[in-house]
Amino acid sequence: MIVAAFLALAIAGALGAIAAAAFGAPPSAFGGALALMFAGFAGAASAAAIALHAPGDLTEPRVARGPTHARPLPAEVELTRPVFGRLWLAAGGAFALLGLVPLIALARKPGRASRTGWGAGVRLVDENGVPIPHDRLAAGGIETVFPQGAVDIPEAPAVLIRGDDGGYRAFSKVCTHAGCPVALYRHASHQLICPCHQSIFDVNDGAKNISGPAPRPLPGLALGIDAEGFFIARGDFDAPVGPDDWDRVL
Amino acid sequence: MIVRRTAAWLDERFGSNALLHAALKKIYPDHWSFYLGEFALYFFMVLVATGVWLTFAFDASSENAYVSVLALADRHHPIGYVIRQIHHWAAVCFVAAILVHMGRIFFTGAFRRPRELNWMVGLCMLALASFTGFTGYSLPNDGLSGTGLRIAYSVALSIPLIGRWAANVFVGGDDFPGAQLTTHLYTLHVYFLPVAIGALLGLHLFLVIYQKHTQFVPDPEHVVGRRFWPDYALRTLAALGATLAVLALLATFFEINPVADYGPYRTWIVMNGAVPDWYAAFLEGALRLGPSTELRIAGHPIPPVFWPGLVLPTVTFLFLLLWPIIEARLTGDRAAHDVLEPPSRVPLRVGVGAALIFDGLLLTIAAGDDQTAATLHVRLDTLVWAYRILLFAGPLLVGVLAARIAAEMRARVPAGGAPPPDVVMLVRNDRGGYDEEEPQAG
Repeated sequence: MIVAAFLALAIAGALGAIAAAAFGAPPSAFGGALALMFAGFAGAASAAAIALHAPGDLTEPRVARGPTHARPLPAEVELTRPVFGRLWLAAGGAFALLGLVPLIALARKPGRASRTGWGAGVRLVDENGVPIPHDRLAAGGIETVFPQGAVDIPEAPAVLIRGDDGGYRAFSKVCTHAGCPVALYRHASHQLICPCHQSIFDVNDGAKNISGPAPRPLPGLALGIDAEGFFIARGDFDAPVGPDDWDRVL
Repeated sequence: MIVRRTAAWLDERFGSNALLHAALKKIYPDHWSFYLGEFALYFFMVLVATGVWLTFAFDASSENAYVSVLALADRHHPIGYVIRQIHHWAAVCFVAAILVHMGRIFFTGAFRRPRELNWMVGLCMLALASFTGFTGYSLPNDGLSGTGLRIAYSVALSIPLIGRWAANVFVGGDDFPGAQLTTHLYTLHVYFLPVAIGALLGLHLFLVIYQKHTQFVPDPEHVVGRRFWPDYALRTLAALGATLAVLALLATFFEINPVADYGPYRTWIVMNGAVPDWYAAFLEGALRLGPSTELRIAGHPIPPVFWPGLVLPTVTFLFLLLWPIIEARLTGDRAAHDVLEPPSRVPLRVGVGAALIFDGLLLTIAAGDDQTAATLHVRLDTLVWAYRILLFAGPLLVGVLAARIAAEMRARVPAGGAPPPDVVMLVRNDRGGYDEEEPQAG
C-alpha cells in the first residue's frame, strides 16, 4: 500500500516534469518534479525493502581463490618445440618503444612562442585598440595595455601604472609564477598582486617579487611618448615573459 | 509476466536462468558503509547519461564553447539548465563519493591481501575522475576555468626536459591558449577518460563479486549477510533513487558554476578570489604555499610550480597506490583477510590516514588563504608561513596523536573478543570507597 503510494508519487513526478518541459515552465518546476519522481522511486524501494525484510543473516561459504598451485600452462598446451619466448617479449618491447614516436610527434610545434608584439616605437593601446594618450591616467591609476595591432598575443598584456610621483611604469601582466594575469594593484603600498597564488611585486622597485611563490620580477617595458602625445614602447620587455621552463636557458 | 517470459526466452537460448539464480541468491555482507562506493557508481551513471545529452548541446570549438554553454546556463532554460546543473553537481559528488569510499576501505583494512589490486584500480579511478572533472569544468572556456587551464599549462611547462613538449601536446600549439585546447579537452572529457573509468569500473566490480565482499562479522569461513534479491536489490534501488532525488534538488535550487557571472576567458582578465572545484583546490593551495626558488641545473630552470603542482600529487598518488604493499612491509602482516578490522586495530594505519587527511584539508583551506587572511585580519605572509609549518608539523602531531588514541582503543578491546560490558558494578568497600565488582562468570 505504501509502496503503491510512493510509486504514484513517482508517476506524478514524471508526468509533472514532462508537463513542465512541455509548457516551458522555469527550471525549478522541472527540477522539482524530477526530484519528486526520484524520491518516489527511493521511497517505494525502501518501503518494499522494509515490507520484505526478514530478520536474521544468511551465510554462504567463502572459498579462497588461490593459490591453486597448478602450472601456468596445462600439459595439453605445453609447447613441443622452442619458439623463443624471450625474443617475442623483446619484439613486443621494441613495438612499445616505437609507440613513443607518434607520442613525440604529437607536439606539432616544438619550442615555445616568445613573440610579445612589443618593440621600439610600438604604441600602447587598450583592449579595444585605442592608443593611450600620455595624460590618460591620474596618479595611482592603472590600465591594462597591449601593443598596437597585437592585442591577441597571449604574452603581450602589460600594466601601465602612474605612480604618486606622476611617473609612468609598465610591466608584463603575465605572472612569472604560473602565468596568471597580475590583475590586482594596491596603490597605497604600490604593489601588484597576482590573484591566483598571491605573488606580490613592488612597482616602485622594478616589480621585484617581494612575497609569494613567483621566482622573479615582472619584466619591465621601457616607455616613451611619440610626436602625437601617445605612449610608445622603447623596445621589448627587458626579460622573458611568464613562467620559465627547462629550455629557457637564461 | 513480462519478466518471466523474457527470462524464459533468454533461458531457452543461453541457459541463463542458472546464472540468474546464482546472481539473485548471492549473499552480500551488509553495513551502511558498504553503500559508499555504490553512490560513486550512481554518480558515474548520472554523469554518463547527462553527459551524452550535453555533447549534443555543446559546441566544442574555442570560439563557440562559451556561448553554447551560456545558453544552457540560462536560468530560464528549463531542461538544459537542470541537466547541466545535475551534471556538474554529480561530478563534484562523484569525486567526493570515491574519496569517502576510499577512506572506508583504507581505515577498515579492506585493501589487504587478496584485494590489493582492486585498491589500485580504485585509486586509478579516483585520479581519472579528478582529471575528467577538471577537463569538463574547463570546457566552457569561461573566465574561471580558463585561468585554471593557464596554470595547468604552466605546470606542464615546468617538467624538466620534456616541459615544452608536454605543454604543446596539451594545448596543441606553442603558446597558451593553443588553437586546439578546447578540442583536446573535449576528446579527453567525453571519450578517453570516461571510457577508461568505465573499463576500470567493470574490472573493479568484477573483482568485488569474484573475490566476494569483505565483512565485519568475524567469520572468515563464510560470507554473512543478505541475498541480492530482494534485500540488497531493493536497498540499492532506494539508494539510487535517493541519489538522483538529491542531485535534482541540488541542481534545481543551488546553482553551481554560474558561467555567465564568470564571463568569457580573456588572457589578461582574472577574477579575484577564484578557486577551482573542490577536488582541485588542494593543488591550488599547494601552489600558494610552494617555494619561490627556481632551481637551475646547468642553466636549465626548474620552475617552482613543478614541486607543488606535479611532484606533490604524483608522490601522494604513488604512496597511496602502493599502500597495501607498504603496510604489509611495515606490519609484517601478509596474510589474506576477508574480515574487516575496526579502524583502531592498526594504529600505524590510523596515524598515516589521519596525517594524509590533515594535509589534504590544510592544502584545500590554503587555496583560499587570501580570503582567510582578510577575514581573520592577519597578514597573508604570516598565514602562509603558519600553513607551511603546519603542513609538516601538523601531520606528525595529528598522526602520532591518532595512532596513540587507536592504540589506547585497541588495548581496551581484546582482539577477536567481545568488548567489556558497559555496565560495571560498584561495591562499597569498608574504607568508604568503591570497588569494581568482578563480573560473574556466565
